[in-house]
Amino acid sequence: MKKKGLGHFLALAAVCGVLLAGCGNSEHVISGEPQEGGAAESASDQGSAPQEAKNTDGAGGYVFVYGDVTISMDEDASSVTEALGEPASYYEAASCAFEGLDKIYTYSGFELQTYPTDGKDFVSLVVLKDDSVATPEGVALGDTKAKVEERYGTDYQEDGALLTYQKGGMKLCFILDGDQVVSIEYRSDVLEGGDA
Amino acid sequence: MKKRKWLKIAGTVLAVAVSLILLQELLMPKYIYDITEGAMIREYYGEEKDHDVVFIGDCEVYENFSPAVLWREYGINSYIRGSAQQLIWQSYYLLEDTLRYETPKVVVFNVLALQYDRPQSEAYNRMTLEGMRWSASKVKSILASMTEKESFLDYVFPLLRYHSRWSELKAEDFRGMFRRERVTHNGYYMRVDVRPAENVPEGRILADYRFGDNAWDYLDRIADLCQEKGILLVLVKAPSLYPYWYPQWEEQVEAYALERGLPYLNFLELTEETGLDFSQDTYDAGLHLNLSGAEKITRYLGAYLREDIGLADRRGEKALADRWRDKLAAYEQDRDAQYEKYGMTPPDR
Repeated sequence: MKKKGLGHFLALAAVCGVLLAGCGNSEHVISGEPQEGGAAESASDQGSAPQEAKNTDGAGGYVFVYGDVTISMDEDASSVTEALGEPASYYEAASCAFEGLDKIYTYSGFELQTYPTDGKDFVSLVVLKDDSVATPEGVALGDTKAKVEERYGTDYQEDGALLTYQKGGMKLCFILDGDQVVSIEYRSDVLEGGDA
Repeated sequence: MKKRKWLKIAGTVLAVAVSLILLQELLMPKYIYDITEGAMIREYYGEEKDHDVVFIGDCEVYENFSPAVLWREYGINSYIRGSAQQLIWQSYYLLEDTLRYETPKVVVFNVLALQYDRPQSEAYNRMTLEGMRWSASKVKSILASMTEKESFLDYVFPLLRYHSRWSELKAEDFRGMFRRERVTHNGYYMRVDVRPAENVPEGRILADYRFGDNAWDYLDRIADLCQEKGILLVLVKAPSLYPYWYPQWEEQVEAYALERGLPYLNFLELTEETGLDFSQDTYDAGLHLNLSGAEKITRYLGAYLREDIGLADRRGEKALADRWRDKLAAYEQDRDAQYEKYGMTPPDR
């Protein structure tokens, strides 16, 4: 009988063990690091939540080019910021709870943001701030929707004033005021979620 | 024989269940020394619940307002039910949860959470939801908060989510199974260090500045619930410089407050009155206030609650005053320890 009782216990324990096997990675939930299905939210991203580090070196996505520096989403930010030189201004935004800083570098005509993963920073966002810079395809602030369509085609998502071209794990976003482009953003897909 | 057999089976099931519960308690994160924000929601349940004021909201409440100052200088007994990136539906269900225990005279809600209209992040969800006691409110909050890849069952049995922590267990996990050290002062997270706000970026242009329907719906629910219970809802915008608070957002909140007849204090517009100095009063370059800044804006809020709302001074209530004597001692001890840690001289010395 004793052996039977022990047998019941072991059987139940085995069932529980099977139930527990193969579940998600709890370490990332606690540390807030990006992981499949959930990630840390930074206070700095104006309503966007990093979801998953891509680290794809922007393969296939739209890139922004400034001088001889090519900037891809999710690429290691250290080489980019080193090549760009001293920014006009720099801001660090800590997460509400988790370790790590989102960093915002402002250069002449554009702003570059990074997100931290595993002790390194990756490019999450490039925002064109004025018409002194343009996309490599030749669209700048102040251009028309027709010019955007001429350069990028019509395969975009339109949500109110926002035109979004998706490619290679990133988004190229144009915000329009009437017919005029007022904002251009290169966005990593890690910024998916809750854009206000 | 049959009865004995069933008793044995029941005993075995019970033993396994108790073992699993203990294992779950061991493996769940305690948030005592790291990411202490995860321990905040749970702390409330250990309190005597006769608060005049309850704050609900995200880091802009638990890092920017000091209940110790409200008590010490105004005799107002308050508590902050704040948590990191507390979404507005989580605030609503925390309010419901709070009302199971007490009915404060005033609820203060920070409006930054209106920017989120849908679930955001499992890591932040868990820091708010796991600490809540089980109730219909917790169930509804989980259902409203889950991201696509989350499962309700993982909240019911957190062991399913945390079982792989066994390899990283620390002494605090064993100690914290039965007793948890407090990480806040009535919900307030104290920091005394200074990092001046410089080069704070302006907000990016948005395609749509309107808050989402879901966010508005929950603000309505908060306002309705307060109205139904005879509680004054005070809307606030903490003076955090980042994330950027857009004028278009401000207009919407002002219009809502006017329409619903709610007081609204935007501390970003009250820096002169509060005396805030962002070269001294923030520890992370303008995202959150340090102790000096939090005490400044809390003094303004205390005066408002006393003079404009008419909350009474309860410092004459012996039992409450005794409780607060201990709380203030812990507050001052924490403050002094932090000044020492950061090599700073307290301003009053």
